[in-house]
Amino acid sequence: MIENPTTSSQEIEEKTFGNRISLWFDSIVKRFQSKDFQKDIWHTVISIIIALGVAAIIMVATGYDPADAFSALGLGAILNFDQVLWRSTPLMLAGLSVALAFKCGLFNIGAEGQLYIGSLAATAVGYMIALPIVVHQLACIIVGVAAGLLYGIVPGILRAYRGAHEVVTTMMLSYAAVYFTQWMVSQGPMHNPGDWRSISPVIFDTATLPKLLGSSFLSTGFIIAVLCVFAVDFFINKTVMGYEMRAVGSNEDAARTAGINAKKSMALALGLSGALAGLAGTVEIQGYYHRFYDQWSAGLGFDGITVAVLGRNNPWGVFGGAIFFGALKAGGSFMQTNAGVPSEMVQVIQGLVVLFVAAPRLIDWLSKHGVEYANWIKSEPKAGIPSIVAFGYGIFGALMGIIVVSPYVASNFSLLILGFFISMASLAVMVFHFQRDERRTSSTLGISLVWLIMALSGLAFLATEVFVTSLIMAGIGFFLSILLKRTQSDILVIKEEGT
Amino acid sequence: MQADLFDLALIGWLIKTTIQFSTPLVLAALGGMYSEKSGIVNIGLEGMMLIGAFSAVAATYFSDNPWIGVIVAVIAGGALAAVHAVITVKLKGNHIVSGTGVILFATGFTTLMLEVIWSQRGVSDEVTRLPQVVIPGIQGIPIIGDVFGSLEPIVYMMFFAVIISWFVMYKTPFGLRIRASGEDPSTLDTAGVNVSTIRFIAVVISGCLSGLGGAYLSIGYGARFGKVMTNGRGFIALAALIFGGWTPIGSFLAGTFFGFLDALQAFISLTMPALAPYNNFIKMIPFVLVVIALAGIGRSRPPKAVGTPYEKEKPA
Repeated sequence: MIENPTTSSQEIEEKTFGNRISLWFDSIVKRFQSKDFQKDIWHTVISIIIALGVAAIIMVATGYDPADAFSALGLGAILNFDQVLWRSTPLMLAGLSVALAFKCGLFNIGAEGQLYIGSLAATAVGYMIALPIVVHQLACIIVGVAAGLLYGIVPGILRAYRGAHEVVTTMMLSYAAVYFTQWMVSQGPMHNPGDWRSISPVIFDTATLPKLLGSSFLSTGFIIAVLCVFAVDFFINKTVMGYEMRAVGSNEDAARTAGINAKKSMALALGLSGALAGLAGTVEIQGYYHRFYDQWSAGLGFDGITVAVLGRNNPWGVFGGAIFFGALKAGGSFMQTNAGVPSEMVQVIQGLVVLFVAAPRLIDWLSKHGVEYANWIKSEPKAGIPSIVAFGYGIFGALMGIIVVSPYVASNFSLLILGFFISMASLAVMVFHFQRDERRTSSTLGISLVWLIMALSGLAFLATEVFVTSLIMAGIGFFLSILLKRTQSDILVIKEEGT
Repeated sequence: MQADLFDLALIGWLIKTTIQFSTPLVLAALGGMYSEKSGIVNIGLEGMMLIGAFSAVAATYFSDNPWIGVIVAVIAGGALAAVHAVITVKLKGNHIVSGTGVILFATGFTTLMLEVIWSQRGVSDEVTRLPQVVIPGIQGIPIIGDVFGSLEPIVYMMFFAVIISWFVMYKTPFGLRIRASGEDPSTLDTAGVNVSTIRFIAVVISGCLSGLGGAYLSIGYGARFGKVMTNGRGFIALAALIFGGWTPIGSFLAGTFFGFLDALQAFISLTMPALAPYNNFIKMIPFVLVVIALAGIGRSRPPKAVGTPYEKEKPA
């Protein structure tokens, strides 16, 4: 048993391939047990919960029932678990593609293009050449991967040897690929003869990947994707080339000084990234579509970026992120049919999750102030209890601000703006109390004044329920601010007496 | 029958279309410049344009006044940028992650609201367009009359924004501070300037300009909002920004160049119907040309501290 598999001297001793593999498995287990990893997981879970909370507020505001929506979403993901895995297959591969480039400090924003070129090449092999069964499948995969690799290595070489920024080149090549494939299957040589749609002919049965578990969606492509997670993890963490790429990614100058060929690493990193994106497209064509539809991917390459960031560029993180987004996608269509909530809601949730994942310090901040706040309430209940009531008033107000105006979303713009403002300001009140900011009393008073304005405008627009609710909210607000003012001055008096 | 390629009216049309197509690109690229010059990577331009385009139409729909639409679009773009700024500047989050979140959120949110407000998928109802700026007396002049005879007001705002941005960036202390916070934030901090505030303002400006660009798409050039109507223009603007070397004039020229490529395709499909079977193939060519041009130009140098959060040194 080796204590620390990352120490370089020990690694030099262990040179045989078998040893390396077992070391690598040890390191995977170690990484899963490490504090950092668990903290990452913890952060991600909290981010997802907060994002779902914000999404629930948006649903309430737009007139949908969040409880219905979330249960349909969850139920859809469980009932259609094969679809979850099917959806997550290309996400996983595209995510690995983007993550690999990120490891080398490169942003492959054009994985979409490599995915299209790879899948187009695989489709060509799939219907133009007749081959025996296993050979044909492999031939498609190899050609698709190779096409993606070539399409990725071009911007890689340009970046490494010419300094052309990879964000621009991959982006431009991505658009070029979309138009090129569009042309190929609509007016070009790969158009399905006599068809009015922009599609290619269907690939031979020998080229399709077999389905798994009797599902009509899930194919062996999923197994390929999972194997790629292992492969990329091994490549990044346990090979010299992967090490060099990480070194270039963390500090290019230092890596170059240490004698690493940074240019080669960069070109190869984008090439391999392209190969993975190409594989994502190939597997999807062979496993599900069986022919090249114009614009079939609808942003899988971009989703790859999302998955990579959710997984923090770690292959296992990408695995988890892909399953999660796959579940959202599969659950989203179920939610649309069964709860009547548009499937775009899923995209909103995705965006919110990513935004909260982007701010790990928000969660640290929350937990730090949360603990302080709780201690403060315990030690000074006289001031703390009104404060926590006001804190609740803030949350309630944020919800009420939107709920009250939601019937008027489509007809009254000024009420909508006012409601939105109240919600935001209520959140601010909540934050002030949470932080024990000095402005908490005055802001509580301020929000009750805004509620009063809301009540008046409700009266002006003859909206009775707006008027009544706003008046009640304003009343509670005034009462609370008086209470806060009194307890706050009490504390001051006590403090003065104490000193 | 082939149209005469050298018809003056056609050339005027090409120039006018170039200006129109490049307006949103230039505005977003300028916005991106503020953000990146101050050290914050902003790949969320696409999302900010989209929210601008949507809120312009929504506000015009409810208020029946396209100018309110423009103002709301600018505010909405700025508000979404403020989210990005809070995450990247205050909470020191990863810029690219946050930008991706902004795009995803904007895409989902605008499509969702499209369905909520107009209860249809795809496109909104038609709203009042911004009135065109008609310059009397020049309609008769060839080319100039065709180009500037009647243009959308946001086009002129774009020209104005380019000049103002150049002036702000290079001739005012504020511009110097933006550039310093992107090149060497610790020096700026030593000079007693709050790096976070500068970066925050720069990011919000980028959102406002992108929102204006989005408003041009929805109520300037057109009169309705369509699902994901920005169609990658935010990314093209990002490319224009890099292509233009992170400068206002460069962004303007590169944005106009990309607009010209777009207009040229429309021009070709209008004047040369014989090439119709190769339409998509022709559409591909400009993107390849850009890559070749970039390979020829070589290294582009971003602001030195771009993408790295600035941590104030704690007094020992």
